[in-house]
Amino acid sequence: MSDRKQNSMFSPTRLLLVARKEFSDLLRDRKSIFWGLFAVAISGPLVVGMIYFVAQSVTERIEKVTAPIVNAQFAPDLVRFLERGGIKVEADPADYEARVKSGDLDAVLVIEPDFAAAYASGRPARITLVTESSRDRSAPVASRLARAVRGWAEYVGNERLVLRGVAPAVARPVQLDDLDLATPEQKGSRMLQIMSFYALFAGLMGAIAAALDVTAGERERQTLEPLLATPVTVPELTIGKWLAVSGVNLIAVSVSLLGFVLALQVVPIDRLGLPFSFGLREYAGFMAVLVPFAFMVPAVLLAFGAAGKTAKEAQSSLQFGVSMIGLLPLMSFFRQTKAPWWDTWVPVNGQYAVLSKVLRSETITSTDWLAMIAIPAAICVVALFVFSRRLGDERMLAGR
Amino acid sequence: MIEVTALCKQFEVRERRSAFALRSTTRRVTAVNDVSFVARDGEVTGLLGPNGAGKTTTLRMLSTLLTPDSGSARIDGHDIAQDRAQVRRRLGVLGDAKGLYWRLTARENIVYFGRLHGLAESEARQRADTLIDELGLHALADRPTQGFSQGERMKVAIARALVHNPQTVLLDEPTNGLDIMSTRSMRDLIRGLKDRGKCVLFSSHIMQEVAALCDRVVIIDKGTVVFNGTPDEALAATGLTSLEDAFVKLIGSEEGLFA
Repeated sequence: MSDRKQNSMFSPTRLLLVARKEFSDLLRDRKSIFWGLFAVAISGPLVVGMIYFVAQSVTERIEKVTAPIVNAQFAPDLVRFLERGGIKVEADPADYEARVKSGDLDAVLVIEPDFAAAYASGRPARITLVTESSRDRSAPVASRLARAVRGWAEYVGNERLVLRGVAPAVARPVQLDDLDLATPEQKGSRMLQIMSFYALFAGLMGAIAAALDVTAGERERQTLEPLLATPVTVPELTIGKWLAVSGVNLIAVSVSLLGFVLALQVVPIDRLGLPFSFGLREYAGFMAVLVPFAFMVPAVLLAFGAAGKTAKEAQSSLQFGVSMIGLLPLMSFFRQTKAPWWDTWVPVNGQYAVLSKVLRSETITSTDWLAMIAIPAAICVVALFVFSRRLGDERMLAGR
Repeated sequence: MIEVTALCKQFEVRERRSAFALRSTTRRVTAVNDVSFVARDGEVTGLLGPNGAGKTTTLRMLSTLLTPDSGSARIDGHDIAQDRAQVRRRLGVLGDAKGLYWRLTARENIVYFGRLHGLAESEARQRADTLIDELGLHALADRPTQGFSQGERMKVAIARALVHNPQTVLLDEPTNGLDIMSTRSMRDLIRGLKDRGKCVLFSSHIMQEVAALCDRVVIIDKGTVVFNGTPDEALAATGLTSLEDAFVKLIGSEEGLFA
């Protein structure tokens, strides 16, 4: 190597040397790596599995719904109607009010004693639907029963009108039709949107331990001083460390996405009426958002981790950075109104928004893509500048 | 060769004037004040002084980690403020912080620093082999440094500082915390460096060590040089027979004994 090259402020050789050393050093921290990647890897299968079992039990309960009916003998027509519609009737459940209250039964139909007389004479015949509305899981069953009873009432009403020579349409001045514009993917993605959250979570988790190690860890081990006494320059150290931590973070992101893909291969989630696909298009879209993100997070964490003179100060400062990044996507998570134009330009929140668009198969504009590249790039520049200032600050060494 | 001319360095320190006070005030303290001396090739120069005298700060300025407020220093003619890269290449530094990378082996620690100093991979490996030989690190060379004893760590840190075969060597309290055997091998190492014509500047507060090793001593106290000469000159100047007594007399207090 020539003398001039040695003297230069910035040597790519040394930069790569630092990056390579930090990367292999980080990967040797087997326990941290294992737990970090393990948490990230199981989050995919865990989320998909949970969604599957929730969706499955809901579907099952709606399909196999039984109608407990008190005094079923007063309304044989209704019983026949329900049975034709695939609802099994359980006559006269004992102690039904207590059982509804305790959640043993989701809903019970009670035929009032004067039902038969009223029905025969053409007066409104009373049926009571007993429910417990504070229990969410009973709601689908209760509404299925209510719909079935209304369907029967409409059928009987129509027949009565026809018998009197009146067109049933007369009694129906308004017809309300639903036109739902959500595509099947969008309906499915509502449930799986949590996946975007976990993908971002991986891009954060993967970097924490590594960023802590190359900043606070360097201080704890007292290796920064000998390192700075070599010809290595602060910019080389800054970028080398950043690349190494980003490398570890990219592994975490890939592992997490792989976990999702594998889980979706195994779990037959589309059979539950959740038409959701995570194919090549979604994978590519996720990677396009998450790769710049995986480089941005380490830069921010390093800037925070380099603050403070002691390892403990660095750690608390870094924790602040982590919670900042963790809280931002909540912005759109809880938002009820339409997203404003700058939604995708808010770091982390924007990533979350675009990942959700990918899952919903919406078109992603070039402005969105610009935000996905430009914002992380700008943040990297600022954060790495701060990091390098802190690394090169002589007070870090002197002040003890 | 090290030429130091009128080096000065101040630090800001925080003070809390009452017990458990939340507010603190900052004050500037002088760590190094007008320090000048010369350390020549083929000689061992001892930088002597009680704790807090400014030894570590002086060595940190020489190793370009701190920028002097005023004054200058040259390593083989290269100014420490203007020509940092050249200075760093010529210096082997065993500083106050002697930490190693725990998960890297002793050999990897040494080779990494060799590479940072601009050695090619093969060169760095060769130098590491030589130093591992000289320091008797064979049995440990390929183990992660995590479980090393104090003396073993010090040896690796020394090897790391010498990997690029520097002409000038700065050692900050190199025998601190070492047992007798390790201290002896450290002394042998310093003599070996001297015999090879290197310029060695080491700081210490242990008199026997200084007496046994140094061709010249620079005694500093409260940031200023109070004596600069050979050990014999120190004895002659004070009219005493032991270097330790001379040291105490020169710094004008007993505090050196508790250092």
